[in-house]
Amino acid sequence: MSKRRSDWESRLQARFARWMREGFSGLDDEIMVSLRQETSETLPSEQMADDHREMADTRRYERGIALDRLAQYDLNAWVSRKGRRLLSRLYTVLAMSLGVLMIFFLLKTVAMMPRFGSPDTPMINEVTDRYIERGLQETGAVNIVAGMILDYRAFDTLGESTVLFIAACAVLILLRIDWDEKAGPALELIAEEWDDRHYEPKNDRILQASAMILTPIVLLFGIYVILNGHLSPGGGFSGGSIISAGLILYLNAFGFKKAGQFFTYRTFMWVSFSALMFYGLAKTYSFYCGANGLQSGIPLGIPGAILSSGLIMPLNIAVGMVVACTMYIFYALFRKGGL
Amino acid sequence: MLDWIRFAVSSALMAAGLMILLTAVIGVFKFDYVLNRMHAAAMGDTLGLLFCMLALITGAPDGWLVLKLLLIIVFLWLSSPVSSHLIARLEVTVNPVWHQLPPPETGREGSEA
Repeated sequence: MSKRRSDWESRLQARFARWMREGFSGLDDEIMVSLRQETSETLPSEQMADDHREMADTRRYERGIALDRLAQYDLNAWVSRKGRRLLSRLYTVLAMSLGVLMIFFLLKTVAMMPRFGSPDTPMINEVTDRYIERGLQETGAVNIVAGMILDYRAFDTLGESTVLFIAACAVLILLRIDWDEKAGPALELIAEEWDDRHYEPKNDRILQASAMILTPIVLLFGIYVILNGHLSPGGGFSGGSIISAGLILYLNAFGFKKAGQFFTYRTFMWVSFSALMFYGLAKTYSFYCGANGLQSGIPLGIPGAILSSGLIMPLNIAVGMVVACTMYIFYALFRKGGL
Repeated sequence: MLDWIRFAVSSALMAAGLMILLTAVIGVFKFDYVLNRMHAAAMGDTLGLLFCMLALITGAPDGWLVLKLLLIIVFLWLSSPVSSHLIARLEVTVNPVWHQLPPPETGREGSEA
């Protein structure tokens, strides 16, 4: 500190530092103060020379700043006018060429495809013939689609249900708000969630009354669609989403507290797990029997009856349970970050 | 003859319903404010769909179909006004303009569930 010269206060770098800190007016005051203090010690001529040099320095410095600003302004103007136009033109050209390329490849693919409805399409082979001719006899399902997705191609459907379950788990990991007290909850997240709950329709009489009427009907319709999956259009996926719509309506009308009385993480995990497990075990059994030429011993029943077509109805129920739980938990997680 | 009358009535009802739906769509795109747009959309959901369903009922071949269509009308009339009500309520809750009005006689909302 003592090594600093007495005129340090008015030197260029110190002035610059102060200008950065408080702007020009504060600097002027400081200069005036320091000048007045030094007048008693220095001779007038010396001081005049100092003053002169100082003013020249300041002017040069300000001129440099102004030139910098001008250059910056020019650059900004170029970017905001010509540069942006150039970029947007480049974007347009790239997008159009990409689109043309896509159109070209798609048209090429379409041109290579067989004519619609021609009998020598590779899709029309013994597989489809067998589905149509012997589907009812082999699966016992009046709804051929259900027979296909849950009997001939049940492995594929198991994969789809598993994908849904894994997606729900991933969303759970990403969106769940941790209420763990020891680790310290994410406070701002909880505050946000609380604020969001402020806007939700709490205790809305109209919504509650209509939900009281509608929820049972919606749930009943979903169960009907699932149970009739092998007899009429519908099945596990559509019925499960209808059931989850009913659950979401109930949740909206009566709040998380009441819905949490019958649906928690534990419910979700156990229902999904047991449904997928049942699905896997049942299909393993039937695949094993089919591959080894054994009789599976599952009765197909009379086509058209509700208890018919072997494994299709239980598998539909399993898929429906997985879908309903998954959709409901998606909604709850996106809405609140938990159940 | 009777079939022709039925067809004429059915198509007239369908045209009316489609006109109302068109009005609703134009309203949704034209109006600026939430409540105005909600009004237009709610009108399309209720009156327009009612006319469409009535047209289908007039043209329905058997009684079970009429019953199902009536159930659809009931379902729509239960659900869509409620959703409009919820939109309006959210607007009133969120928009500070509505907080400057004097509160209504019966409490605006109960305590937390």
